Amino acid sequence: MPYDIQTWVKVAAFSGGGMAMGFGAIGAAIGEGHTAACANEAISRNTKLSGDIFKAMLVGQAIAESSSIFALVIAMMLLFTKFPEHVLTVPVLFGAGLCMGLGAIGAGVGAGYPAGSCCTGMARQPAMSGRLSTNMLIGSAVCQTPAIFSLVVSFILLFTDFSKSPVSPTWAAILGAGIASGFGAIGSGLGGGLVAEASCDGISRQPETTTQVTNVMLLGQAVTQTTAIYALLVSFILMFKTFPETHLLAPPMALLSAGICMGIGAIGPAIGEGFAGKSAVAWIARNQYQVADLTRVMLVGQAVAESTGIYSLVIALILIFVV
Amino acid sequence: MEDLGKIHQLIIHIFGRDFTFNVECMVMTWIVIIALLIFGYLAARKRNIIPNLLQLVGEMIIGIFYDLTEDALGEELGKKYAPLICGLFMFLFLCNWLGIFPHLEEPTKDLNTPLSYGIMGFILAHHAGIKAKGLKTYLKDYCEPMFIMAPLNVIGELAKVISISFRLFGNIMGGSIIILVVSYLTFNLVTPPFLNAFFGAFVGTIQAFVFTMLTLVYIAVQVA
Repeated sequence: MPYDIQTWVKVAAFSGGGMAMGFGAIGAAIGEGHTAACANEAISRNTKLSGDIFKAMLVGQAIAESSSIFALVIAMMLLFTKFPEHVLTVPVLFGAGLCMGLGAIGAGVGAGYPAGSCCTGMARQPAMSGRLSTNMLIGSAVCQTPAIFSLVVSFILLFTDFSKSPVSPTWAAILGAGIASGFGAIGSGLGGGLVAEASCDGISRQPETTTQVTNVMLLGQAVTQTTAIYALLVSFILMFKTFPETHLLAPPMALLSAGICMGIGAIGPAIGEGFAGKSAVAWIARNQYQVADLTRVMLVGQAVAESTGIYSLVIALILIFVV
Repeated sequence: MEDLGKIHQLIIHIFGRDFTFNVECMVMTWIVIIALLIFGYLAARKRNIIPNLLQLVGEMIIGIFYDLTEDALGEELGKKYAPLICGLFMFLFLCNWLGIFPHLEEPTKDLNTPLSYGIMGFILAHHAGIKAKGLKTYLKDYCEPMFIMAPLNVIGELAKVISISFRLFGNIMGGSIIILVVSYLTFNLVTPPFLNAFFGAFVGTIQAFVFTMLTLVYIAVQVA
């Protein structure tokens, strides 16, 4: 029995919405659970501060939750908005849902780490509660950046008019764009969380180093996001470049593979860079006279860890422009 | 909602030639430059042992960035590069905050602005590297750890320009798209001020700082 376009658009909207919220629910829940575990530990160590720690836990969990709320927004939009009946709407809805769902995983888990170590840090060093909370807010907000990139790509997919583009390679470009930004955000969110966790830990261990620790944390997180930015770049190229119409199967597959290549290739380097940043921040708190050396080693190490992400970028660009 | 796809581009063609000017971005950049000039003039006009408010703000910014630069580059080079780093931060900071005001757009929302400053930082860092190490050692550093790795090292250096400029561009443009879409979905009720506070003020400050620090650190890595 043949189905008309309207049915396919509905199918894509429902499956996209399901994927957005399904995948999107993974990360934040893990992160929030980690925060709650750390808060329990902190309260049992320092029972007098239970009120403050409880508040810090709730604030941290609220930030970790925001990536899931992005996914919820996209899922609701997919379910309740009326979309134009066009063939290309099908990959658009599917890609937007996949992009936001996958993109919310890393940021949710990542934002849970600094919130947890903020709670334990408050128990250890109650006098630094204010600075710890500020640092945690900055750190977990920066963790959300990859999820925000995914949200932006989903919004652009949903609100751009693709109806004038040729169907044949564009469907693959749209799906590829969603996949690239979705997978690409996983590692960066997680890695950024590791760096921020170490910074909250470091501040509570050595309050004198607060300024240096926050600065190096921002640097480390920024470099950790680099591969997510490559994924965003590939998504933008796939969405905004006009491709010539084709009836062959190879050109669309090249565009789709470019997205897959950049998206999955971005996961590993970002987590690795997160480890480098975590350790650098943790040791700056212990050895504050070596800030310059530790920062340089961190950046060089992160650059080397990132090289596999750059290979993915090169292959993705070759797939788009050469093949 | 229609302006989402073709983001903020006002292009002028002159006499059939391909000269395209992004007027909006240029006007906004000049607004930022003039605002900074006025701030600098007012802050330095009545210098006193007991500073007035503007002098205090100016001294604070300059103090912070001179310290950061000297920490990263050492006493002598730090004094040389600190004005640049300080100016870069103040410029980007004001650029990112500009979108908070109605009818004004962030110049950094246009890829041209972050990309120019990314390329500027790239050239500065490599110029500093060649000057500090000499051309031979500088070129030799590309062949680490093996000679075959040279092309990949060059790609890695170029990727730094992409990452630094797309980080700023993606954050600022992403913020403005989210503000636009959410305002549209909620019929401009309640949420826009909070979103502006988060994406304009908070993210804008952090990204301006990150861009400045990364430029500084790229110079420091080349010099060391």
